[in-house]
Amino acid sequence: MRRVYITGVGVVSSIGLGRRAFFDALAKGQSGITPVESFDPTPLGRLNAGEVKEFRAKDHLTQAELRRGIGRCSAMSLGALRMALADAGIEGDAVSGPRTSVVVGTTMGEADVIADLDSQWISGGHRAMRKAMLPKYGSTLLPIHLARAVGAQGMVLTMPAACAAGNYAIGFATDMIRTGRADVVIAGAAEILQELQFSGFVRLAAMAPQRCQPFDLNRQGLILGEGAGLMVLESEEHAARRGANVQAEVGGYGLTCDGYHITRPHPEAEGSIAAMRAAIEYSGITPDMVDFVNAHGTGTRANDQAEAKAMRDIFGDRRVPISSVKSMIGHCMGAASALEAISCVMTLETGVYPPTIAFETPDPECDVDVVKNVARAGKADVVLNNSAAFGGYNAVACFAKPGVLPHPSQIKRAAA
Amino acid sequence: MEPRVVTGLGICSAIGIGREAFFRALESPVLLRDKAIQPVESFDASKYEGAAVAEVHDFDPAKYLGDKGLRTLDRLTKLLVVATRIGAMDAGLKKDNVFVPPASPDRVGVVCSNAYGSLEAITELDRVAKLEDARYINPAKFPNTVANSASGYASIWEEMRALNVAVSDGNCGALDAVACADVHFASGRADALLVGGAEAASEALFVAFHRLGMLEAGAALGEGAALLALERKEFAEKRGARALAEVVGFGTAFEAPESDTQMIYASTEAMTRAIHSCLEDAAMKPSEIDLVASGLSGLKPFDTVELAAIRRVLGEDACIAMPKALVGETLGAGGAMAMACALGWLQGIAPATIIADNAPAKVKTVLVTTMGYYGNASAVILRAS
Repeated sequence: MRRVYITGVGVVSSIGLGRRAFFDALAKGQSGITPVESFDPTPLGRLNAGEVKEFRAKDHLTQAELRRGIGRCSAMSLGALRMALADAGIEGDAVSGPRTSVVVGTTMGEADVIADLDSQWISGGHRAMRKAMLPKYGSTLLPIHLARAVGAQGMVLTMPAACAAGNYAIGFATDMIRTGRADVVIAGAAEILQELQFSGFVRLAAMAPQRCQPFDLNRQGLILGEGAGLMVLESEEHAARRGANVQAEVGGYGLTCDGYHITRPHPEAEGSIAAMRAAIEYSGITPDMVDFVNAHGTGTRANDQAEAKAMRDIFGDRRVPISSVKSMIGHCMGAASALEAISCVMTLETGVYPPTIAFETPDPECDVDVVKNVARAGKADVVLNNSAAFGGYNAVACFAKPGVLPHPSQIKRAAA
Repeated sequence: MEPRVVTGLGICSAIGIGREAFFRALESPVLLRDKAIQPVESFDASKYEGAAVAEVHDFDPAKYLGDKGLRTLDRLTKLLVVATRIGAMDAGLKKDNVFVPPASPDRVGVVCSNAYGSLEAITELDRVAKLEDARYINPAKFPNTVANSASGYASIWEEMRALNVAVSDGNCGALDAVACADVHFASGRADALLVGGAEAASEALFVAFHRLGMLEAGAALGEGAALLALERKEFAEKRGARALAEVVGFGTAFEAPESDTQMIYASTEAMTRAIHSCLEDAAMKPSEIDLVASGLSGLKPFDTVELAAIRRVLGEDACIAMPKALVGETLGAGGAMAMACALGWLQGIAPATIIADNAPAKVKTVLVTTMGYYGNASAVILRAS
């Protein structure tokens, strides 16, 4: 069992590219939620999303990658990857080879490719589908493009864990390194905003008209977003050998499945409580060591109230600060918990808890200490990143300042 | 890896539903190419002349699940939930669909691979959105567009709450699921996991294969769900479970093609490395492998490469079977279908679909190999217990 360190992060988001721009905007409470431009949402009666507007594929991809005809989701992932590698001080083929793997989460992967193919099929029959585009669909492709860019020759895995996909990917990547199946893993998640998902969330009556107000009594639902967040994870030995700058340690993580409903969280939050508890136990710590929780905080009543219940169950009367950056970047679906994991890393580095903006009226059913509207400075040695998803998935990951957590080989758990 | 015990098999395949029916079909194997083409049931194939899909024919989920709550589930979900249910019962983790202690809902989970599962729902909803209006898409069907939906339903229907992990790595996913399960056993997250893959036939998938000329080139599109009940050894022993076999090794590898713009790629090097690393993981020598349950599918460029890699590591006289000749190309479920065949052969059923006349008298170890379309390859070793 080895420690797993985060040595570089890369971000493509609606509020900025790269970790500094991203977190500066979060800390200032800037919103990336704007009217959608990539398609016309007006017939659906909803206009806004956290759409990424400043990312241009040609600024981040090689000529060969551009010629490969990559979907927007892979393109954003490649952008985030290059930023993460630069952030980690990795150049050329420094981490290429069989001991490097790629694990990426997503909900729908190359959703624009399938949408285009579907349009061709619907309007002109199957013979109208562009043959060259067919092999470019498939969520399998995200890690393939990334592995090619970094020279990874180990596992190339997609974890389609919907809105918890980032934590799933980071968790599994961490286990791969801990158990010796890899030394370096590029891990994270990506998702693009697409008309079909937008329509689907409208039809589920889950989408707010204008803004996302997690934990607010008058919340009206979620706002969708998009983006990509990737991390370079390394074993402690590998990071030491190349003299890497360690940004944070990945602690334990918890995975559970509600087994209750395909879209709704368990009303008593049983699954998310068990996942939070497991994340704490697998980190070898106790709840009193947790300084801050990045909320799943979608801004739907079912989620917020269940999450608040879970917070009370885990922390009792201690009000651990909690905040949802979805109020600023929207719910980036598959990418959400990866982007939020990066926000957690930045909180550890800066001691700044990002705010939950658009917060007006506390919900008495959410008895938690929300970081309201303005960022707050505080102790940040250990943070939790909550996520939940369609399918009843719950995944909670713990991140800590290097040296704070006990060594994984010394952690004893009741379950194991 | 530490050996993990296989205690049951849940399977919905073109040659049988349930372990017993599947093993019976393995005992008197009939190659797909020798079977009469049956009409396609999973979609309207009338506009595709001579369309053939190795489907799970006469699939009646209500027989296994009752008739309530099935209306909004897509074909993939129904195949997977049925496989999960019969797999848990076959393993004795459940009886009459109730957990038998010490097995419990909080300690049993699902790890499932799927490559193109949500296509059916995506294309159906796209059709409504484009031909009618996006405001009319059925919200009850929207969750099916999400790739982990089928897997999530398996936990909901079967009360398997320890964890539920969906993986996707094309044809290699179902073997990668074994590696996922292994790390979760190693970290003590579950006592038993239903591990494998599922893929459903859909018009979209058929059209893609058809348009790419893969069917004409020799691949037979299939479908199905196959899950192995895997357990930590101590747990299987504690509850006195019957062992069908053990999973003892896993390996995977990726190689990028020389050309930066190329996408589709069959890599001898990746397959070779995956097999080597699998043998190393199992602490076994090439000579200890009795039989290979390969991923050969009839697609020549891929088959040639896979064969070359297997022979490079195991020698020219390696005994190689091609399970896909029986069940078709089931993509995300492919590795699991091959593991299901391996279980039968380890149980003493005479191996079939062997490409040369060199079947061993007794099979004690099987190497399962899969090749992805993009330079990826994975391998797993099963051993008689």
